[in-house]
Amino acid sequence: MFSDAEVAVFLEELEEKIQVINESILILEREGGLPVVIQEIFRAAHTIKGSSAIMGYDKMARLTHELESLFERLRSGSLEVSTHLVDTLFEAMDTLRSLYEEIINNTNGEDIEAVIVKLRGHYEERPVSTLQTADHGGDVVSGCPLQIDETIEEVIREAELIGFQAYHMRVVLESDCQMKEVRAFLVFETLQQNGEIIKSMPGVEDIQEGKFNDEFSMLLLTRDDLDQVKNGVLSIAEINSIDVTPLSARETSVQRDNEALAGGDVIVNKDAPDSGRKVRQNIKTVRVDVQKLDTLMNLVGELVIDRTRLDRFTEIFEGKYGSGELADSIADISNHLTQVSRDLQVEIMKARMLPVANVFNRLPRLVRDVAQKLAKEIDFIVEGKETELDRNVIEVIGDPLIHLIRNAVDHGIETPEEREQAGKPRTGTIILKASYVESQIMITITDDGRGINAEDIKRLAVKKGLLDNGQASRISDREALEYVFAPGFSTAAIVSDISGRGVGMDIVRSQIEQINGSVELTTTPGRGATFTIKLPLTLAIIKALMVGLGERVIAFPLIYVVETIIIKPSDIKYIRHNEVVVVRGKVLPLIRLGEVFNDFRNEESVRMSIVILGSGDKRVGVIVDRLIGEQEIVIKSFGSYLGQVPGLAGATILGDGRVGLIVDARTLIKETGIEDGVYAEAN
Amino acid sequence: MKLMSHDQEEQIVVFRLVDQIYGIEIGAVIEIIRMESITRLPGTPGFVEGIINLRGRVIPVIDLRNRFGLAVLGVTTDSRIIIVETVDVTIGIVVDAVAEVLRYSPSGVLPPPAMLDGEGTVIIRGIILDEDRMVILLNNENILGASEVEDLNRIQAEKLAV
Repeated sequence: MFSDAEVAVFLEELEEKIQVINESILILEREGGLPVVIQEIFRAAHTIKGSSAIMGYDKMARLTHELESLFERLRSGSLEVSTHLVDTLFEAMDTLRSLYEEIINNTNGEDIEAVIVKLRGHYEERPVSTLQTADHGGDVVSGCPLQIDETIEEVIREAELIGFQAYHMRVVLESDCQMKEVRAFLVFETLQQNGEIIKSMPGVEDIQEGKFNDEFSMLLLTRDDLDQVKNGVLSIAEINSIDVTPLSARETSVQRDNEALAGGDVIVNKDAPDSGRKVRQNIKTVRVDVQKLDTLMNLVGELVIDRTRLDRFTEIFEGKYGSGELADSIADISNHLTQVSRDLQVEIMKARMLPVANVFNRLPRLVRDVAQKLAKEIDFIVEGKETELDRNVIEVIGDPLIHLIRNAVDHGIETPEEREQAGKPRTGTIILKASYVESQIMITITDDGRGINAEDIKRLAVKKGLLDNGQASRISDREALEYVFAPGFSTAAIVSDISGRGVGMDIVRSQIEQINGSVELTTTPGRGATFTIKLPLTLAIIKALMVGLGERVIAFPLIYVVETIIIKPSDIKYIRHNEVVVVRGKVLPLIRLGEVFNDFRNEESVRMSIVILGSGDKRVGVIVDRLIGEQEIVIKSFGSYLGQVPGLAGATILGDGRVGLIVDARTLIKETGIEDGVYAEAN
Repeated sequence: MKLMSHDQEEQIVVFRLVDQIYGIEIGAVIEIIRMESITRLPGTPGFVEGIINLRGRVIPVIDLRNRFGLAVLGVTTDSRIIIVETVDVTIGIVVDAVAEVLRYSPSGVLPPPAMLDGEGTVIIRGIILDEDRMVILLNNENILGASEVEDLNRIQAEKLAV
């Protein structure tokens, strides 16, 4: 019944609302029952109820209806916020999320009855009337103007979507009218033939018992127009007069049409109410399919390639025809094209970027849950969540972050008792911060817990057979910490792992490295630890150092290039059959690029060009045939057919249309690089 | 090809590898290009020739002659690269010559003979007898099977690392 696009829109908004509710519940727990927050949750739940009902997801509609009822009580003050209540609320939200997944996976197993019972258990089973009937039992009630509250407004809004019009109608009966209740009944009957009465004043019961003067009023939803409505009622006997006014819901809703992809005004609450800065901004947005952005990005990539080709062409042209008007024109055009395409590149990159908040949002809840389970008290501070990341990066970074945070809660922060004994405040602090540093994103997770002891790591590494005693005594503390990321290294005492097989930290590192990022650990035993993650701003276009190998052109990603040097063949020394060269007093291991590819021979030459690659402390020098220059290149993956090609990170299209290969510098450094100072000086 | 009544006719692109005739479903063929320089990749299985630039896309190219254990003749002016695509995988196949587009009816496809060199059987969907020649119908899904190449890559890399 509903198209994929409509379901997709529904799911996206559902996700947003779930997020809002989760965050708000956290605030409730921290700050108590603030009316603004309760209202926020109420609205979100109500919206979900409405749209899921329209879409036909009955379980979701029922669950959110129960949430709504509970929040109605919170709102009216007949229910108080308590930890027990918050727990139930989170349980309900978890169930809601399961229902969300059910929709995506097209399954249907979730049972909502249990959680509904729990929700209801928080208040007595007494139907709360949302209609403002003056329940004075026996008294006569006059038809005061109807109050239109949020709920009613929502109902009107939804009705308007399907073509109904709302009216406020006041009916005055003849003063000598007998059997007022019968007249009223007839009025209702007539109106309900073509519409629906959603509210009446006085309440329906009172009207049925004749407990009103001469008039009553109601809210009517109907497709008929004003005159039809009027005439319908006036035709009933003993009606003195009627007053009909059309009503319309205020335009504040987020959900307008389902058809258009362009949204209307969206009101976004940027900060929680307690932050002192209540900024409500109107942001005009357009929902764009991610695929379209990816296509745009590809096209920009093509532009970069052509830009390079044009540059080359300009050079050749100038070389042939010298400078002059024609050459100048071409240079001008080329420069302008370069500028514009560069700007385009930047803008599209930005369009693909999302605030890192998207990933950070789930974390406060995670911290709360795990901390509770382990009886720890933790303050979780998030900074810089508006920092933006490429969408693809955001998708990948979630898992590692969850793992690192869980680790900090589980093993970093001590129990309140331990902390007191150590002279620390009972409540531990974990700070998650995102910021830009140079041309990268830096995410740090800092805790003030027990830190990590290098000696412990060394001991464990030896026990696991990753190091022998001799090495353990030689390596520095910094190097020892690296073993935390080693495969198979996991100690329940120091790092948590996902499945008990010691696969935790190394997976985190490889996930991050897969997107060309890096993660490092610094720590002060007893005081805490910090994990620093660095990520590139975009995955597709990088700066590279181009080198020649025989007829080939090979690219080294510039972030791994430390420097380039020229040496003579006689500068090469040997340590145990390995070629090395001494650079500024330090020993640098060498490899020949041709050998990396296993089927080419380097050209012999009087001058040898070396590209020094480095990452962290490790260095390795790669002998190439010639250096070409720095260039921005578009990374093209090899595709699913070839998958991972060992030694290579991808391919690129060169200025002349040939294919260039990109070296997997990271792996190369890891496997052949040596830390400064590990070798004593040669000779 | 004699038309069998009521049969849906399919079309295949017929090409030659050394002295054998093969066919591949036309729906899978994106284009046919002349031979161009192929950038070789280290550490990939023997039948992976390398990669080419197809209007900005990097496309892997394989040599079925190598795959089927046929003696490779080398490149001639008739050599072509057939670009084949399924849902999300695109590759190029080096062939010695492209002959024609042939109509055939699926009911006329004979099952592949049981005894073929091991690698070949999964790739061959059947045999079509067309007048005086035998056209070996390829199973395009299996040629484009992805993980196989990656596995082979890995095995290769592990061997070299020793």
